[in-house]
Amino acid sequence: MNLWFLLAKSDDVEHADVMAMNWLPAVTSLIVFLLAFGFLAKVVWPKITKGLDDRERKIRETIAAADKAKEDAEKALAEYQENLVKAREEANAMIAQAKSDAKAAGEELRRSNDADLAEIKQRATREIESAKRSAITELHAEASMLATAIASKILQREISAQDQQKLVDETLGEMGRLQDN
Amino acid sequence: MHENAMHMLTLAAADPIDHVTDKYLLKIGDTPILTMHMVTLIIATGIMLWAMWTAAKSIDTGPESDGNDRYITKGRFAQLIEAMVVYLRDEMLEPVLGKEHTRRYLPFLLSLFFFVLFNNLFGMIPVMDFLHLLGAHNTWIGGTATANIAITGALALVAFVLIEAHAFREQGVKGWLLHNFGGLVPGPILLFPIALIVFVVEIAGHFIKPTALAIRLFANMVAGHTLMAVLLSFGYAAVEAGMGTFGIGTITVVSGISAIVVTFLELFVSFLQAFIFMFLTAVFISLMSHDDEHEAGHEEDTVAHSEHQLATEMQEAVAH
Repeated sequence: MNLWFLLAKSDDVEHADVMAMNWLPAVTSLIVFLLAFGFLAKVVWPKITKGLDDRERKIRETIAAADKAKEDAEKALAEYQENLVKAREEANAMIAQAKSDAKAAGEELRRSNDADLAEIKQRATREIESAKRSAITELHAEASMLATAIASKILQREISAQDQQKLVDETLGEMGRLQDN
Repeated sequence: MHENAMHMLTLAAADPIDHVTDKYLLKIGDTPILTMHMVTLIIATGIMLWAMWTAAKSIDTGPESDGNDRYITKGRFAQLIEAMVVYLRDEMLEPVLGKEHTRRYLPFLLSLFFFVLFNNLFGMIPVMDFLHLLGAHNTWIGGTATANIAITGALALVAFVLIEAHAFREQGVKGWLLHNFGGLVPGPILLFPIALIVFVVEIAGHFIKPTALAIRLFANMVAGHTLMAVLLSFGYAAVEAGMGTFGIGTITVVSGISAIVVTFLELFVSFLQAFIFMFLTAVFISLMSHDDEHEAGHEEDTVAHSEHQLATEMQEAVAH
């Protein structure tokens, strides 16, 4: 189809002059534009402006909140790191203190053990000495009784207490010599 | 059918300007009461209002139940409108008007922009021609409303009233008068004749600026559509010249392709002219602001700067 068909038009209508300044379309245009402007200004632009402003505010708020959150997080991280360093230092100090305490306690324990040991040893020595003396005394008495009985049997006679004492002493002296030898 | 088609062709080739002129649809006596551009204007504006209302609902913040999605604009058309609004507001109007005046005049300027844009774009749809192809001879819809000097004139009148209202509001009557003397009054008495000349020129400028707005939009729209009609009429010219089938075919294809290319150019011009109408209105408003920077000498600079900015933007747009 040839495109010039598109130019076709009928001639049974009256054309206005292209430069004609007709009042009718002018007034219509004025009224239509003012009505359209009224509608747009009342209904359309407030909605669009509100939508754009709301979004802008929301974006600003979100960015501000994100900045603040970042700042807070950085502050918290710095604080945490500071605390970590402090805690590490405290822990090291505590470990050092515990070591030194443990060493001191060990020393103290050893010292006290040594003292106890010495005391126990002394007491044992003392008890041994005492037991030894008591045994010797008991032995003396036992020996004296025995010697007396033996002597009585041998001599078959009664001896006086004076003789007995003399005899005991001589026997003990004899035993002492024997023991020394 | 063939006879009918040839009849239409003859008419079309007779005067390409007929394609863009308004038509009287109803008359009472000799007084026209309805023209085609009036109908087109009302329909295009109705579509614009519906489209903008739909977009606005999507751009507006949704119900709280949507969560963060309530801040998101859904739908490509609404996103397109939003991108245009944000670009015009932040990149074009705020640098010229400043934040406060942009807030105040944004509804008017954007209404002007979308009103002109939708009327320009609606004019791109060959409604009348399709209806003719379908056999309807007397169509009520068609043409481009903004290719009517009366309609662009009315828009320019609204812009003029707003610009002057802004001027008086900002400067007061005395300030407005002094402003029109170009800073020469009060001044040396010998310069007073020159101040008078400046005053006359300035006053003329108040009317010339909106008139230029009206003519620029009207002329661009008429020129574009006339160019299209002329390109498409070459085929008929070939027929009339008695060329052979090859000649007619070649010329028709070449002129047809040219018409398609020009259609894209027209699409660009539709946006550009809507933008220029709005942007220059904003520039004229800013020139009337009570601002110490806007001394007489600076006005030309601002206009020159705006024109330079426009030229740069156009070059960039064409380059893309």
